[in-house]
Amino acid sequence: MKRSSMKKKKGLENVLFTIPAVILVCMVMYIPFVMSGYYSLTRWNGIAKQPVFIGLENFKTILSGSDSFLSAMWFTIRYTFFFVIVSNVAALALAVALTKRFRLANLYRGLFFIPYIMSMTIVGFIWKFIFTSGFKKFFEVTGWGFWNLSWLGNPSMAFWSVTIVGIWQSLGFYIVLYIAGLQAVPKDIIEAAYVDGASRRQTFFKVTVPLLGPSMTTCVFMSLTNGLKVFDIILALTKGGPGQSTYSATLSIYNEAFTRNNYGLGSAQAILYFVFVLVITQLTLKMMSRKEVAL
Amino acid sequence: MRRKTRQRLSHIILVVILTVIALLYIYPVALMFMNSVKPFGEVIATPVSLPKKPTFGNYLYVGEKIQYFRLLWNNVMITVIGIIGIVFFSSLAAYICDRRRTKYTKFIYTLLITPMLIPFQTIMITLLKAMNIIHLNNSRVGLGIQYWGFGIPMATFIFYNFMATIPRDLDEAATVDGATTWQTYRMVIFPLLKSVTVTVIVLDVMWIWNDFLLPLLMVNSNNKTKTLVLAAYTFVGQMNTQWQYAMVGMVMAVFPSILVFIFLQKYIVEGVVAGAVKG
Repeated sequence: MKRSSMKKKKGLENVLFTIPAVILVCMVMYIPFVMSGYYSLTRWNGIAKQPVFIGLENFKTILSGSDSFLSAMWFTIRYTFFFVIVSNVAALALAVALTKRFRLANLYRGLFFIPYIMSMTIVGFIWKFIFTSGFKKFFEVTGWGFWNLSWLGNPSMAFWSVTIVGIWQSLGFYIVLYIAGLQAVPKDIIEAAYVDGASRRQTFFKVTVPLLGPSMTTCVFMSLTNGLKVFDIILALTKGGPGQSTYSATLSIYNEAFTRNNYGLGSAQAILYFVFVLVITQLTLKMMSRKEVAL
Repeated sequence: MRRKTRQRLSHIILVVILTVIALLYIYPVALMFMNSVKPFGEVIATPVSLPKKPTFGNYLYVGEKIQYFRLLWNNVMITVIGIIGIVFFSSLAAYICDRRRTKYTKFIYTLLITPMLIPFQTIMITLLKAMNIIHLNNSRVGLGIQYWGFGIPMATFIFYNFMATIPRDLDEAATVDGATTWQTYRMVIFPLLKSVTVTVIVLDVMWIWNDFLLPLLMVNSNNKTKTLVLAAYTFVGQMNTQWQYAMVGMVMAVFPSILVFIFLQKYIVEGVVAGAVKG
């Protein structure tokens, strides 16, 4: 008798102590998620009382390419591809250099991290100033045509400008993660490789890099999800232009709903975006963890 | 002997190259600070060099115009409310889910951490509608409460993984001594979670303080509820020809973070690394 009442009390406590978290998560994540699923099947301008049910019409519109989502998705894929590759290669190289012993190493680590703690919107504005006023001045001083290119005005240049700024903002974060990874590689294994006659390069690529597996998985995964989410920087830097050349998937969802008041179509884009992100991140995670080397 | 000098030389070259890269890297940030203390004409004429005679008049003008201290207060308030709720509800849920392994708690744990897979942009449209219905939009407290829901999945995940490293003997001893579940959490478990709590706080402060999209949807319609980043975004948009004022707005938005980072660099970097590895 006593035992079962004790069990009951424990069960009640389990509910009592976890229910606030459950309610909060449902309130901002699950309920809106289910609502998105429903609205994606409707036409709704946000003002009319009732959304009109139209079945899969929105998805047909998107997949036939008659709105901007597919091209925005394509931009997001290209952006993410370069963002992931360049961030990881550059961060690893700088992390290797920054783990060498010299007096200013700590200061430099801090310097590289500073853009990461700044708001991405502000970062976009700073670079807008640099791409316009700053580069103009550099051109006046040096006369090099490089500075005089239309960094934000030409579609293919704007792509690179946005990508460079995105990488610049978050590189410090990946550097810090790689430094932590490098410091966790046991010194005696490196020594052993040298003793066995391996060159520096061989040791780095054949011993250190494989042992960095977990850090690399983390960094690639994080840069992947962050790349796919790109929004603030683009809004501040180009607003998606010129001619939609830097129009990202997230910007497309935002504008479809809040500028054009097509809540139904926006929701359908949001659902497709969710499926895409889920598939890509899970596939990458599977691939990466299979490649990891255990010590 | 010769090998040693060669190694030394390559080390020096590396440090020099690294110095150049580091200086170039931080130059855009320095540029923002430099131009914020120049008069209008100088920003246009010499946008990339040091100011001739720094003036802080721009700061007085912009500080008053955007009502800087109110914005700062809004940011602090939203962030503090958000953090307290995230830490409290997540650590409590993680404690129960780890220590009481029943069908119910297993289900709850999965339910709590799964939303890590849902990108914010997927739900933002309908979130605005849902928050409208329960009156959590257009309010700083309401926004803080929303951060509880968004922060709980990852924080619960991090707390839960850490719970496994706390010996069960400790809380079992407390129970034998007659402590209730709540007392055990408050007196034994929560104090032991200190290091991981720091990680959660660091990650969530960096996220909430600089967040743009959620505040844009929820608190942008009223000047009284705007956050620092939102105000800077609007202000820079209005001042797109008066760059000297725009620069001040930008400096004012990022300066608190930079200042905190300079003093707490060690904790912030450790927190970020720990969070990424566990998250």
